[in-house]
Amino acid sequence: MMSNGFEPKIVGFLCNWCSYTGADLAGTSRIKYATNLRVIRTMCSARIDPTFILKALLEGADGVLICGCHPGDCHYVEGNYKAMRRYPLLKRLLDAYGIENERVQLEWVSASEGRRFAEVVDRMTEQIKALGPCKVRTALAFDMAER
Amino acid sequence: MDTPKIGVYVCNCGTNIKKVVDCDEVAQQASEQPGVVCARSYKYMCSNPGQEMIIKDIQEQGLDRVVVSACSPRMHESTFRGALAKAGLNPYFLEMANIREQCSWVHTDPRAATDKATDLTRGAVRRVVFHEALEKRFVDMCPATLVIGGGITGLTAALELAESGNQVYLVEQSGRLGGNLANVDLTAPYLDSARDLIRERILRATRNPNITVFLDAKVESLDGYVGNFKAKVASAGGTVPVEIGSVVVATGYKPFDASRVKAFGHGTNPNVITSFEFEAMLRKGRILTDKGRPPRYVTVIHCVGSRSEEFHPYCSRVCCMTALKYGQEIKSALPDAFVYDLYIDMHAFGKGCEDFYKQASEIRTIFMMFQKNTAPQILPGGPKDDCEMFLRVDDKLSGEEVDIPTDLVVLMVGMEARDDSAEVARLVNISRDKDGWFIESHPKLDPVATTTDGVYIAGCCQSPKDINESVAQARAATARIMAKIAKGRIEVDAVFAEVNQDDCSGCRVCNDLCPYGAIDFNSETRRSNVISAMCKACGACVTACPSAAIKGRHFTDEQIFAQIEGVL
Ligand code: SF4
Ligand code: SF4
Ligand code: SF4
Repeated sequence: MMSNGFEPKIVGFLCNWCSYTGADLAGTSRIKYATNLRVIRTMCSARIDPTFILKALLEGADGVLICGCHPGDCHYVEGNYKAMRRYPLLKRLLDAYGIENERVQLEWVSASEGRRFAEVVDRMTEQIKALGPCKVRTALAFDMAER
Repeated sequence: MDTPKIGVYVCNCGTNIKKVVDCDEVAQQASEQPGVVCARSYKYMCSNPGQEMIIKDIQEQGLDRVVVSACSPRMHESTFRGALAKAGLNPYFLEMANIREQCSWVHTDPRAATDKATDLTRGAVRRVVFHEALEKRFVDMCPATLVIGGGITGLTAALELAESGNQVYLVEQSGRLGGNLANVDLTAPYLDSARDLIRERILRATRNPNITVFLDAKVESLDGYVGNFKAKVASAGGTVPVEIGSVVVATGYKPFDASRVKAFGHGTNPNVITSFEFEAMLRKGRILTDKGRPPRYVTVIHCVGSRSEEFHPYCSRVCCMTALKYGQEIKSALPDAFVYDLYIDMHAFGKGCEDFYKQASEIRTIFMMFQKNTAPQILPGGPKDDCEMFLRVDDKLSGEEVDIPTDLVVLMVGMEARDDSAEVARLVNISRDKDGWFIESHPKLDPVATTTDGVYIAGCCQSPKDINESVAQARAATARIMAKIAKGRIEVDAVFAEVNQDDCSGCRVCNDLCPYGAIDFNSETRRSNVISAMCKACGACVTACPSAAIKGRHFTDEQIFAQIEGVL
């Protein structure tokens, strides 16, 4: 790596119709952004299970980005609302584990927003860099073993 | 499960991937993953030799899982699934890693990009282990089509389908067919009569027994899936249910409201009119100012609402040539009149258009160029002047500020997405871009299909277009539909959700969750059940089921968990 600074790994869950297409558009438009994101495609943001996010953090992700269509624009009518509703609950759960809120972010990116997608990734990467590595992995692993 | 035998294929895409990602290293790293029996880096995976290579490995090495690290799966997943099928392997044993659109094209640091491509490939390798063979699903194709919009695009689509013997329901929201084109006099650049173009089509459509026309009508609902949609069409005659296999959205555009550009005073100054108001004068054959006399000076202003920071950033495409057409129509009606043409840039891109531009200069249209994001200023004429007003223009060509005498100003209003475009998009389940135009499946390779199978878009509802482009799109959409009709039965994706009846507690949490009403509750067994043909695999029910009784085929928890482990 060029700097000896911390390069976080971020897992991104992107819905197929809007956000994944938007990320592809960033590519076809050759818009450059940070290399830290690893994308996993789901059909709809409503499929993104809180356990996926916990699993990613547990496996060593320093951040998790969830992207879906803008409210009102979901390919599956209202799947993104379902994702949105789950999100505050998840945040509370993370708080309970002492995981910084900014490590898990929810963003709406439409199929035409390639540039916005790149900006979201850059912004989040900077935020996670500032936070440093996710230390709670150990705490979380301990707690899960307890149950 | 037996140990899988995975083949990994890392595509260079010529230099598209290779110039940033070290494809050999990605393949090398992949070959060390458990289960990987061969890993290759190759120039063009989607080419015939590329696909043959996969087929040969499947047959000779007994591969039962394939990972292709290449472009977006949205681009070539079906290509590679085809290759697997050809080799006798179930096509769902494929997983793609997107190392082009989401890696080599967006990164410049070869080390970091190679690491990312390696991670994404590892994610795919881990995931593909858990893939399952899914059987093909076929559904019947209803040969009828719903066409929404009765302008030139919708009429063309309807005629094309109906004249090939298929039933069409043509739904027009206004009281007459013809759309915006019915309000136009002549067309550019060949000066054909719009009335002739459209009238003949309206006659043919209304006389064709295969076309049912609904006027003053609206599609109230659309349910179902490709080949098997059900719609409700509401009109004065009540609400009629129709069954169709495909939908063509041809809802067109709305002319820009010129009064929004305050500087021009449209709506308050009666001698400032829009291009559509001017078309009406031309059709009546009476070009007159509000005082009822023929104008001596006519000024045409381009890009009203288009190519502007304040209104719409895009070019509306047809206004430049229409403005030139006005020069010709004015000169033939009023040979002594002066025509000023104020433009930002002259876009004469189409066939015959450059010649048309030349003709306009020959008839002595006076061209002046003004600065983008500025507007020529209107000054009232005095009692001694021989004109109604003056237009003050900062002419970029001469570098001088000039006041041009004017009796009538024609504003070339651009096109904008219709007010109901959001509603229509939701009705047929397609997306809109930032300007409100409907989004096509692929801008170059799939211009009339959408992300909803069986729903096509054509004409100006997708973006501004001229008549020939709109007609071409209408015909393209109908060709797609007729290809499906010809097959009779169509293959649909084998990906859907299913309920494990033994695990279902009958809590019914999933029942209201499904956006497509695909979940049925059996009151006898007190278990829920997914009607697979109606399921669109969003996975909402999978995530929500408290008993983990629902499996999202091809998007199972274990597949996604494995991928998460792989990318980290
Ligand atoms: S498979 Fe995709 S990445 Fe490879 S050559 Fe073809 S288009 Fe390029
Ligand atoms: S949510 Fe799960 S348990 Fe409840 S009815 Fe649906 S399938 Fe059965
Ligand atoms: S996956 Fe989505 S579409 Fe399919 S049954 Fe479940 S909620 Fe309905």
